[in-house]
This record gives sequence, structure tokens and C-alpha cells, in this order.
Amino acid sequence: MSGSLFAQGLALGLLAGGLYALLSSGLTLYFGVMRVVMVAHPAFLFLAAYTTYFLHRVTGMDPLLTIVVTVPLFFVVGIGIQRLLVSRLAPESLAMMSVLLTFALALLIEGGLGVVATGSYRSITVEYATSAVRVFGVALPIDKLIGFGIAAVTFVAIFLILRVTRFGKALRATIQHPTAAMLVGIDTNRVRGIGFGIGLATAAIGGAVLAIIDPFFPAAHWDYIGKLMAIIVVGGLGSVQGAAIAALLLGAIEGVVQVSAGATWAGLIFYGFLFATLLLRPQGFFGGRLAERF
Amino acid sequence: MRQIRRHRPLLASVVTLGLLLTACGEDDADDPTAGGNDSPGDSEETPTGDPITIGISLPLTGDFSEPGKGIQEGYETWAAMVNDSGGLLDRPVELIFRDDASDPNKVVSDYESLITQEEVDLVFGPFSTRLVIPAAGVAESYDMLFVEPAGAAPEVFEQGFEYLFYAAPAIASDHYNYLAEWILGLPEDERPQTAAYAALDDPFAQGTAYGLKEKLEAGGIETVADEVYPPGTTGFTAIAAGIADADADMVVGGTQFEDTVGLLRAFQDLGYQPDLAAFSTGPTLPEFEEAVGAASEGVIAPVGWSVEADLGANQEFAEKHREVHGKEPDEDAANGFTTGEIVAAAVEAVECAEQGEECQRALADYIRENEFDTIVGPLSFDEAGRPQSAHMILQWQGGEIQIVLPEDSEVQTADIQYPKAPW
Amino acid sequence: MMTVAAARRAAIVVAAAVLLVYPWIAPNSYMRYAGVLVVMYAVLATSWNLVGGFTGYVSLGHAAFFGLGAYGTGILIIDLAVPHVLALAISTVGVVVFAVVVGLAAVRVRGASFVIVSIALVTMMSLIAQDARELTGGSSGLRVPPISEDLDRTSNHLLFFNLFAALLLLATLAWWFIDRSRFGAGLKAIREDEDKAEALGVPTTAYKVAVFALSAGFTGVAGGLYGMWFGNLDPIFVFSIIVGANMVIMALLGGVRHLFGPTVGALIVAPASEYFLTRFGETQIHVVFSGVLLGIVVLFMPDGIIPKVGALLRRFGPVSSSIREETQQELRDRQGVGA
Repeated sequence: MSGSLFAQGLALGLLAGGLYALLSSGLTLYFGVMRVVMVAHPAFLFLAAYTTYFLHRVTGMDPLLTIVVTVPLFFVVGIGIQRLLVSRLAPESLAMMSVLLTFALALLIEGGLGVVATGSYRSITVEYATSAVRVFGVALPIDKLIGFGIAAVTFVAIFLILRVTRFGKALRATIQHPTAAMLVGIDTNRVRGIGFGIGLATAAIGGAVLAIIDPFFPAAHWDYIGKLMAIIVVGGLGSVQGAAIAALLLGAIEGVVQVSAGATWAGLIFYGFLFATLLLRPQGFFGGRLAERF
Repeated sequence: MRQIRRHRPLLASVVTLGLLLTACGEDDADDPTAGGNDSPGDSEETPTGDPITIGISLPLTGDFSEPGKGIQEGYETWAAMVNDSGGLLDRPVELIFRDDASDPNKVVSDYESLITQEEVDLVFGPFSTRLVIPAAGVAESYDMLFVEPAGAAPEVFEQGFEYLFYAAPAIASDHYNYLAEWILGLPEDERPQTAAYAALDDPFAQGTAYGLKEKLEAGGIETVADEVYPPGTTGFTAIAAGIADADADMVVGGTQFEDTVGLLRAFQDLGYQPDLAAFSTGPTLPEFEEAVGAASEGVIAPVGWSVEADLGANQEFAEKHREVHGKEPDEDAANGFTTGEIVAAAVEAVECAEQGEECQRALADYIRENEFDTIVGPLSFDEAGRPQSAHMILQWQGGEIQIVLPEDSEVQTADIQYPKAPW
Repeated sequence: MMTVAAARRAAIVVAAAVLLVYPWIAPNSYMRYAGVLVVMYAVLATSWNLVGGFTGYVSLGHAAFFGLGAYGTGILIIDLAVPHVLALAISTVGVVVFAVVVGLAAVRVRGASFVIVSIALVTMMSLIAQDARELTGGSSGLRVPPISEDLDRTSNHLLFFNLFAALLLLATLAWWFIDRSRFGAGLKAIREDEDKAEALGVPTTAYKVAVFALSAGFTGVAGGLYGMWFGNLDPIFVFSIIVGANMVIMALLGGVRHLFGPTVGALIVAPASEYFLTRFGETQIHVVFSGVLLGIVVLFMPDGIIPKVGALLRRFGPVSSSIREETQQELRDRQGVGA
């Protein structure tokens, strides 16, 4: 494999990794606040992509601007899901039931999208994002650069919220030890709801970005489930910065493998890392104290 | 006490199941039109009599739903035209559609139920090689004629099916034949020296690309890249990067629609400019130009059917299709229509349309031994059901499709442009 | 007046009789085919329930074993010309060994992570099966020769209906034995509180891997039988999360704590989903229905339909009161206490 090809693969992989980081930060948040494996997260991602698509089609709104509409909407939906559905589950069988419940949600979304939007592939082409910027002989497609940029900004925002604000500390406390958090006076129910809302809001942003990058169709979420799950396990369940590091790392490796050994091997590396993590360090590699062994 | 209660529900469920089953049996019989089918049209010569029922399973949802719907429309146009002109053997035809969601398990259960429960008189084939092989297996075991519009990969014809026929000009590996001939016919210094291949992991798509690859390799054109990607892939930049890095003189895609567009856009992004770019399926669809704009210039594709061609009943087909569906027909609809044409011709000749080995075998023998005047030209078949004609080659020029090969034939509309303009 | 035990036995006998007689009373070949599918799903759901019901570990990727059994049997028959029955046996051994190896890694994690691992497993196998063209036929699939050329299609259905029914019997028996054994008690302890179980000396890893392997074995046999019966293996639809999810839905719907729960679940879900697909197949409504059904079961009937229906029927039965209908002696006898 030539040096330029390697560099190209690496660059593309890193750009993809940025998007993965945004998506998996939401996923790891659900896990952190509610110990819920939200299998429906990628489905919401595509729901957001479709929403962006239709808003763009019908009102001519710039797809990235639709974030202003979708984020608050998804935030509220997230709180609703946590309050109305997830909290109804009995704690003893939470693992099994939450997976099945969110799986049911994913099916509902996929089916709903199929009925309303049909199975055709959709995509949005924006005039300012059809070409690529060349840096040292490596082509960086503009749409992916934009996606990376938005993902980075959002990610930093979430990180700052978690680190600096009072709410963020309350959230981290709830993730670390819910009972202790309650004891110091944190309203864990409210915190959980908002945590879920933030998670779904990241799906809204991710969806808008996806809409301009690649074509999508209702059943596309299945591919993302495996990859994102692998990322949050490698990064450490419940740790947002762990998810980001793992995402960039795995994205980069995926990019390099894809240009050299092909798409199938690229898909397999995620699972290879997943199994390696579980064998060697089940609590994840990059999570710090926030990560838990499960 | 607890134990009785635990098992009373079991009894109840068993009884319910029994009722469900009988209900199932009746229900399906009462509801033969499970899905949008076309009833005999409202025209001057509406035929009367016992309808000839034709069972079809198509992917109306799932991965192959777009072409699946296209074929359904072709079948419906055919049925409308047949019923307009008095029906088949003076009986109206009735199409019964089932959705298999692109799932090979479902396609088998669909045909099994159509044949043994609905007891249809005839069956038409489904879409895609993946679904055709299991479906043909069902038809074979019940001795039903199986003319299909879309199973073109070489494997389909190596299974030993005796009732299967593919209703299009040529099988997948022969789709690019005219192009191979033309390329190898160029003088040494003008010919491309290297070629790159990108194929969807699907027997049909790979069949087309590798068919061309074999011929070009035999003619001395070196293969410098050979990428395969799974179905459902939407990000092509990485795959395109490998090809762009190899900088081959020409690129061949074994593709459907989305991947054609994805690959092309990715090549654009990366600044890769081949002298010749050929993709299967994608460029044959009118949406192609919408999707890639000016980059369509010079792109080549094999095509079995052309809307302008004056072959057989093609123009009547196009007109009827516009009337019934309100839009232009595409190649999938044409394949569906051709299937209907062939079966209709056989039925009229043999004068039977019912289940049972005698009739179906007579139909199969008739098809094998005769030539048919179809909307894709004259068609005849070999022992294994392979069609013996050839696909044309189209090229986009100035935002329009032109038929460029075979040269000096009645279907050619323009000369081939080579090398192609940068996209 | 029937005794408790006799009534229960009668119910089971009636159900078994219906099962045995079904292929003969099925009105046409398609209904036989559908019957085979239903019984196969009952086997899959019951096998899954060996892990899910006893240990509480949810595996959404059980289709990995199904696919391995199917492809394993098929490849042995095609490439090594092994006779069908022997191929099935060897393939099953292979699946069990594979399950032990994977299980040792997989059971190191619990709850949510285990689910993730199971999803990863089945997705990996799907990718590998699609890629390894020379071995598995890749995306074109594998065509498995039928067990006997002389058997026509509808007799083939009959044969495999009976084979699957026998397998269902075995799986149900296995579940029944485990349910009343010490092994089973250990597994249930793991479900209730794994740490305490370990502290009490239950060899949790060994038990978990053992039941995992057993469950995989049954699933693998079902896969092999499916390969021989259906004849066409497609990597995407055999190694599919949806198949795995269906197993879970059926077991859950019927009731994971009950012997016949998964079977009842299969009897309800499999015909219903065939029906929905024929009726509403034009659009994705059938996917919506699956989601809604699963959601309802999870939220409102997490113990499954059997207890719910049981509770409903109990309303119509005699109301139990505190007045005992038995003498002191009978009570003592029942409890096994000495005179």
C-alpha cells in the first residue's frame, strides 16, 4: 500500500471517527445514566436524517440549519422516552428489558420511516459541499470536513457541560453512583431525563450531518449498532471522553484497513477490538474513573 | 392447583391455534389480491370467463424494493395490454402479487403458498439472483414453468433447472460483450492498459463486472484494483481511494443504482479521471442524470432495452405504460413485460394454462424450441434457459442516453466517445 | 373429578396429539411448510430460553449458532461428501466447541455488555460468511443437496416436520430436566444475584458456559436441519439479528419462566408474522407491528402471556378461599411430612 493511499485512508478514517465520536457520546450517556443499552440510537439518528431531508425538501432550509429545529425536538423526545418508557422497567431485569424495549423502538422507527418515506435511498447534495480540499496530496471531502467540524464543536460543548456546569457534575455523579448522588440532594430522576435528552439531541445533530454526507435508507441503522457498541465498550461504558478517543482510534484504523484490505475486514476490526477489550480490560481502555465494569 | 392454571392456558392456546390455522386457510383464499394488482382494464374488449391467475413474488419492501416495484409495473402493463386485446386464450389474466421483502425465506414461502394454496395457473419470476434460485427450486419441485425477469448471474443457469428461462437479451457475464469487443478492437496505442473493478457483493453485479474482466484480462489489459463491497454500503470514499491510487486507465463498476452514484461522486471528490468509465444498472436509469448532473457525460452502461427502439411491440408497451402508470417505463418494467410476452406466446401456442406437469412441460419445451419477437428484439434460449441475444451499450452524451454499440446496427444512435470528458 | 396431575397430563397429551397429526390434516403443501417453520421456531425459542430463562442473560445473537449449524452441515455435505446425518452430528459438535470457546470470553461480562457481545458475534459471522466465497458461496449463498432425491417436496416437508418435532421434544425435555435439577437451581441463582451465587460457591462460569453450549448445540442442530430442509442458505438472512430477536420475542411472549412458554410464543408469533407479511407486505407496516408487539410485551407483559392468560382464566374458575378442602392427614401427606 503506497504512502499516499495510507495517508488518504487515515484522513478519511479520522473524519469518520469524528462523527462516530459524536454518535457514541450519546450512546454512552444513556448507558451511564440508566444502564440502558439504547439499541435504537442509530435508528433515531436516521429519523433525524429523514427529518432534515424533508425539512430541506419542503422548506428549502439549509440542512445544517435544520439542527435548530431538530435538536430541541429530539431533546424533548429523549426526556419523554426516559420518563415514560424506560423508567417503567423493573430494575431486576433492566438489562434484558431495556434492550428489547429499545429494539422495539428501533423496529418502530424503521417501519415508520419505511411506510412514510419508502425504502428508496435519500441524500442531500449541498452546493458548497461537493468537492474536496487537497492537503499534502490527500483529498479531504468538504462535506466530511463540515461533519467533523460540527461533531467536534458539539462534542466539546457536551464535554464542557459535563465538566464545568453544575448540572454536568450532577450528571456525572448520577452516572458514578446514583444512590450517593441522591444522598447529596441531586434529583436523579430529573438528571436522568435530561441526560437522555442530551443523548437524543446528539442523534439529531448527527442525523443532520449524515444527511449531507452519505445516502441513507430506513434499514441503514443496523450497520451502526455494531460499530457504535464496539466503540463505547472499548472506550469505557459511561465515559464520554473515552468514547471520543475510542471513536477516533477505531475510525482511523477502519479507514486504513478499508483502503488496503477491503470493506469486510474494515467492518470486522470493530468486533476484533470489542472482543480484545472484553478479554483484556472489560471496563474499557480510555474511560478513567467513570468507566464501569459490567 | 398452580399446575392446572399453568396449563389451562396451554390448552387454550392450542385451540386458538387450530382456529387460527383454519382461519388462515380461508382468509388467504378470500384475499387473493394481497397487494396492489391490476384488474382487467376497462376497455372495449374485456374478456370474460374463468381468469387465468398468475402468481408472482416481488421485493416490494427491503433492499431491492425499487427495482421490485419497477418489475411489478411492467407486469401490470402487460396484463392491461393483454386484457385489452381479449385476454389469453379468451380468458382475462389476473396477477396475484406477494411481497417477499427481499428475503429468500419469504420468497420460497410465497411461491409455495401461491402454487399450493392459491393454486395459481402460472407463475412469473421474482427479482434478483439471490431470490430467483430458491424460488426456481420451488417451481421446479411442483413442475411449474418459471420465466423470470431478473436472475441473470451465471450460477442461476448451473443449477440444473429445467423450467427456468431468463427474459432479457443476455446473462450477466455477457452484458458487456460488445464493449469488450470494441475495446480489444482498438489499436494498441489507443487501448487502455490498466483497468480497475469495483463490484457490489451480489451475484448479478459481480457477474457483469467479472464477465468483462475475464475478457479484458485475456486480451492483455492488466487489472490493478479489484474492490468488492457488501450491500448497504453508503460510504464509497475509502473504496474509491484504493482505485484512485492505482490510477487505472479505465474503471468498471458492477453496481446497482446508489453505488454507481456513490462511486462516481467519490471519484470526483478524489480527482480521479479515467479514460473510460462503465457501470452496470445505475446509468440506465433516468434518475442518474439528476443525481450526478454534468458528471454523467461519457459514462457507459450495458442495457437490454431502450425506450426508443422500434423492436416488437416496444412502442405500444411504452405508450400503455405511460397510460397505466403515468410515467416512463424503465428497464425493470421492460424485463417484466418481456416475461409476460414470452409466457403469453407459449400459452397461446400450446393452448393450455394450468398447473400440472403435462401443460407446464409443454410450455417449457415450446419456449426452448422457438424464437420470440419481444420488445428487446428476437429472443431464443439454450438448454439451460440462457437467452442467446446480447445487451447494447449506452453512453450518456449531452445529458441524454445514446446507444453507441453495436456499431452500424439499427439500434445505434450515436458514436462512442473515447476518451471520456473529465467529470 | 380429575386430579391436578391427570388434568395437566391430559393437556399435554392433547397438545402433542395435535402436533403429531398436524401435517396430515394440513389442507395443502403450503400449510405443511408453514408448520415446519413454526415448529422450527419453537425449537429455536426453547433453545434460547435455556440461556435466557435460567440465567437471565439475553443473547440477541443466537442466530450465529443457527447459521453455523446450517453452513457447517452444508459444507460438510457438499465439500467433503459426508452423509447427511453424520454431517449434522459433526457440525453440531463443532458448534458446541465454538460456543464453549466464545462462551468463555462472553460470560466474563454481564447484562448489557453481554447483549452487545452477542450482537457483535452474529454480525461478525454474517460478514465472514459473505466474504469467504470459496467456502460458503459468499453472497450467492449455498445450495445444500436434499437428503433424498426421491422425496417430493411435500413429503420432504412431512419428514422435516417430524424431525423438528422430535428436536422440540428433546429441547423441552432438556429444559424440564434442568428446571428441576441442581444445575438449574444454580443457574436461577445466577439470574437472581450473580455475586451472591458466586459467594455461595456456585461455579458460575462453568455453569454459564455449560448452559450456553447446550443451548448453542440445540440451535446448531436446528440450523443443520434447516439447511437440509430448505436447501438454500443466504448469509445475510441466516446470520441475522432479526432471527435472533424473533427467538427472544417468542420466548418472552410465551413466558421465559415456563416450560412451554417459548413454544406457545412461537405458535403465536410465527403464523401471525406470516399472515402480516401476506396481508400488509406492500409497506413496512409488518415491521411496525413487530416493534409494537415487542414493546407491548416488554412494558405490560414482561412475564409473558402464559401467566396473563392464566390469571384471566383463573377469574372464571373457582375462587380459592382459605377454607381447606382437605383433611389434616391429606395435608401432611401432600407436604411429605411424617405421620
